Amino acid sequence: MRARRVKGLDPAASLADNAERIVRTRLDELYSFAPKALNPKRVKALHDMRIAAKRLRYVLEITSFCFGPYASTATKRAKELQDLLGEIHDCDELLPRVRAVQRELRDGDVDGLLELGADADDLDRALGARVRHADAYGGLEVLAVWLEARRTLLFERFLDRWKTLQRQAFRERLERALDDRVVETESLPPSSDGQVQSRMTA
Amino acid sequence: MAKPRDIPDLHADDAFAAAAAKVVAVRAQELADHSHNVLDTSDIERVHDMRVATRRLRAVLEIFAPCFPKRQHGEVLRDVKALADALGERRDPDVHIAALDTFAAAVKPSSRAGVRLLGGRFRDEQAQANADLAQALQRAEESDLQGRLRALAEGPAG
Repeated sequence: MRARRVKGLDPAASLADNAERIVRTRLDELYSFAPKALNPKRVKALHDMRIAAKRLRYVLEITSFCFGPYASTATKRAKELQDLLGEIHDCDELLPRVRAVQRELRDGDVDGLLELGADADDLDRALGARVRHADAYGGLEVLAVWLEARRTLLFERFLDRWKTLQRQAFRERLERALDDRVVETESLPPSSDGQVQSRMTA
Repeated sequence: MAKPRDIPDLHADDAFAAAAAKVVAVRAQELADHSHNVLDTSDIERVHDMRVATRRLRAVLEIFAPCFPKRQHGEVLRDVKALADALGERRDPDVHIAALDTFAAAVKPSSRAGVRLLGGRFRDEQAQANADLAQALQRAEESDLQGRLRALAEGPAG
């Protein structure tokens, strides 16, 4: 998935100004997948949402210190979301592989039985005992069942997590944190009375 | 998984280009530090750590793209992506093999044959991906990716 272009970036402007633009774009991007990704069958939308969460996380990892405290919390939330969607993605990747190997073994065994019974008018039932990969199908079926169950469970966890983020006003709080720029305190040499002074820098 | 290193002396009011130089320098060093012994398939965390370092580096190269000379940046980003892809191709079978080994140990003995057969397929893919990764690492070294990253990091602020 190509990242949305961030408009108005300026190398001469401050890190905070540019970071704010990037985070807002990445946040929009994350939410743009929400309606589709809440359907467990929309595998691609879930995958794209994971990438969007990763992009948001990485920009926040570097720049959250520029903003209000919730930006740091949002970094953790984005990572949690990315990790959970990553686990779902692993199931989505592995399950078709399991099914493909099952099909391949079965097709090979069908061909094997046909070779054994090629000259007969009908296939001898006793050849059923010579199905080569019978044990392997069973194990792969157990694995497929487990993967389907795990995927269902993880998707439910994802829905719970997403709803919790909405309930906790994740987006609104991160947007407020972006408005709430950190003011850095720069230490100055001690004053004549020996007290430490500080100067606020934007 | 390795945590990202703090970027020393990075400030919110730094110019974006100055920040780019500081961040890319640290992330490039992280990549260099995690690039040892990644071809050792007995310790899959090494490849994972290098992959994460590559992803972080790629992310910052994309974030700070406007700060760098276009051609120089494009070539470095392309090579970092190629390295990330090779690491990803190695990582995928690593993860599946580990998961299948754990699963095989947990299920009834009668269910293990198929799981082990699939694990064998992933081991073949891991070996091929490791050979491809070795070539990708060699290309990165021969093209002096680290030197080009350093040059990129020294460019924008100066």
